Amino acid sequence: MSEAMKPGKVRLFTLERIWTIATSTVTQLIRMRTFYFLLSFAGLVIAIGNLNIPDTPAKELSMIKKVSFGTMDLFAWLFAIVSTALLIPRDIEDRTLYTILSKPVRRIEYLAGKLCGVLIVIGISLLVMFAVCGTMISFREAGFVKNERNTMVKDGRYSDQEIDQQIALISKHGMRPELGIAVAASFMKAAVIASVTIFLSTFASSSLFTIIISILIFLIGHAHAMASSFWLYHSGDNVVIRQLFKIVKILIPDFQLYSFSEGIVLAEPVVYSLVGQMVLVTIGYLTVFLLLSLLVFIDKEF
Amino acid sequence: MEKIHTTRERETQSGGKNPPAVEVKNLTKIFSTGMRRDYVVAIDNLSLTVKAGEVYGLIGPNGSGKSTTMKVVLGLMAPSQGFARVFGLESGDIRAKNVTGFLPENPYFYKHLTGAETLRFYGKLCGMHGAALRDRIQELLELVSLQKAADRRLSGYSKGMLQRIGLAQALVQRPGLLVLDEPTAGVDPVGSREIRDLIFGLRNEGITVFLCSHLLEQVQEVCDRVGIIFEGRMRREGALDELISIADQTALTIQSASPALLEQIQNLVSHEKGASMVELGHPRTTLEDLFLKIVKGGKTSDE
Amino acid sequence: MFFRKIPRPLLILVILVGFGLLRGPFEDGLRRRFIEERLLLPPPGHTVMQQMGQSALMGTLGGLRSLVATFLVLKAFDQFSHKEWEDLRRTYIIITNLEPRDETHWVSVVWHLGINATASVEFNESIPPFERQRLFTEYATEAVRLGESGLKQIPDSVAIRKQLAEVYREKLKDYCAAARVYKEMLGLPGCPGYALRFYGYFLADCPGNERKAYDYLMNLYRQGEKQRLPTLLIKIKKLETALNIPFSKRIPDEQVSRRSKKGNFKTQSNPPGIRIP
Repeated sequence: MSEAMKPGKVRLFTLERIWTIATSTVTQLIRMRTFYFLLSFAGLVIAIGNLNIPDTPAKELSMIKKVSFGTMDLFAWLFAIVSTALLIPRDIEDRTLYTILSKPVRRIEYLAGKLCGVLIVIGISLLVMFAVCGTMISFREAGFVKNERNTMVKDGRYSDQEIDQQIALISKHGMRPELGIAVAASFMKAAVIASVTIFLSTFASSSLFTIIISILIFLIGHAHAMASSFWLYHSGDNVVIRQLFKIVKILIPDFQLYSFSEGIVLAEPVVYSLVGQMVLVTIGYLTVFLLLSLLVFIDKEF
Repeated sequence: MEKIHTTRERETQSGGKNPPAVEVKNLTKIFSTGMRRDYVVAIDNLSLTVKAGEVYGLIGPNGSGKSTTMKVVLGLMAPSQGFARVFGLESGDIRAKNVTGFLPENPYFYKHLTGAETLRFYGKLCGMHGAALRDRIQELLELVSLQKAADRRLSGYSKGMLQRIGLAQALVQRPGLLVLDEPTAGVDPVGSREIRDLIFGLRNEGITVFLCSHLLEQVQEVCDRVGIIFEGRMRREGALDELISIADQTALTIQSASPALLEQIQNLVSHEKGASMVELGHPRTTLEDLFLKIVKGGKTSDE
Repeated sequence: MFFRKIPRPLLILVILVGFGLLRGPFEDGLRRRFIEERLLLPPPGHTVMQQMGQSALMGTLGGLRSLVATFLVLKAFDQFSHKEWEDLRRTYIIITNLEPRDETHWVSVVWHLGINATASVEFNESIPPFERQRLFTEYATEAVRLGESGLKQIPDSVAIRKQLAEVYREKLKDYCAAARVYKEMLGLPGCPGYALRFYGYFLADCPGNERKAYDYLMNLYRQGEKQRLPTLLIKIKKLETALNIPFSKRIPDEQVSRRSKKGNFKTQSNPPGIRIP
């Protein structure tokens, strides 16, 4: 018998197998041409960036940023749901899963590999989108600063200090390194919804069902903080509705917390300790939903 | 040939020291269906043993439980009762999977990968990497004659090519046990013959082959032992020769026999108490042999 | 092996609920801190959510507040182009509720209602004069009301104050309010240099504050040539007359005429920072 035939030599859990499945997932998503949506995003950003609405430079920059980052956020979570929902059901339908699981691959390695693959693709997409946005915003900011400075100098009524103040106001709404944290927030949100989607796909009957339920969970997870106060107000603080919202809050992730990215986009200062806590929350969500996925998947028969 | 027999004898005789390649004992698998707690017994108290180094065929009609048995052996399903072991390990054990290679019936691989990428993917899942994996991929591509198609995506492969790449991935980690599910289904006679020759070669290397098929003629050619399964139960099991030989009949094949000789033999049989001539005539070749003879003959004349 | 005996759906539910109970207080604390640090916006008001269209509401609930607000701004611009002042007002109420900390929205709504809408109705001869005046006052009042609401959200906003002051002085002719606003501006980051003088100017026009204004403007006068702009000199002269300041203490008349001849005087009806189409 050759060396490989001896049963005792295989490692029971390796990151290498997770990485192998992750990179294969990345290849799969790339070859499914999923990145083409980036082209439409780039087109949208360029269109918005060139919409010359008569307004202050600060407001125009603010608008470009809000549309760009809002669209980036939308693409990220939508892509997370759709791509994740397709992965495991497709492997089961095509029976690719049989050959993979007949190799020395633990089911947790398979799930973690799939999730990592999706996160890598989302990360790359966000970086590309951020580069496109950043270029557009920087370009417009430079133009506005130049025009504003020329106008104020030509006018003659403004001191250097006043000119610098006006330029600072424009720059405040322009490209700043802290905007990278806003992108990180979108990534974390997409990561959480991807982990929820993987969990749903382990027991859902079809990809379409998984996508619909994931979107629903996402909207509820975003809305319950806002909707609870609205409906409680209009129901006269009904006990049943109150308890219902408590249950929703317990079961469904709070996606609205990740909207701190909007504050950063609006040029509010970043509080890094809070961002660090959000990273911990995200890791918690990923761990729990991966564990739940494993609990469903581990005894699944194909 | 003598060497092959010696190897096989050595390995089958060493069952006492080494565990069997596959051991299934009192295996029962029940599936529940629908909401009304209906259930289907797919396998009913099945037992079989595949000795290390032999080629074992599990045959039966569609729906007899072959695939389910195979999935239990591969660790894709858990038994409802009984157990399945691979080289002494529970079939679901990851170490058992490391010594098992699986060729599925239809090619269950990622169509977006090329042939070489597919082998690299499964090789890495088995813990192989670097130069060892690269060399092994080359070796396997040569073995299954797919060097030229190595960089083509599987979506562009024919059925036969997919079968061959499937065999290559099953062998990537040099497994001790190869599980083949309908290895020649949908494959032309030339391809079938190649797969058969490959199986013989693997057996010569000491690799155990456990195949499931409903193509009886092909099983007959390659298997040492056969199990016949029907409605989830093992009906007959044993060495092929023992199973298919008709104990109380003897066949003779004589080259260039004269009519006088044939008459003498017939007289001898008629005078023997209890013996009778069942059939006297020319033996038949198989259609497959004829087909191959024509094809190969055609290729030789072209050259 | 103990876990294998527990029914799987129950185990999943227990883990989900356990995790939910654990993270709840932590996330509530995080939300409070985010709102305090102005990184998260408080939920929109109840009436605002009722006023939102379905798609806007879905977008808001889906976490696209900024995106929804931005598209409503484009809608508002279209309403401005068509002089649909009522619709524009309603749209901006939603926008400022969605993004209460974006000062550009508050500045825009004060500008649209306080300057554009009032100008539009003021010279619209198709509307009877009494109705014109009524609408004029209504829009101007609504503009300052919204502006003051904006200042509650962004207390240190100079831009909102600039726009408010313009409405107070140009439209409502409420010079006392204008003076108050300019005074609030002083010392805030980004406060324009002219605010120092404008406070004095409008204080001078606020009845009962002439003395206070005179002392203030004389302080500026004494700071030197930089502050001795024609308007300041004219205002001081008017106050000297109104307050009967002794001639020996009055500023020389030649200074006023010299400054006027030099042609340095320009009206300050359009402060910098806003491009008018």
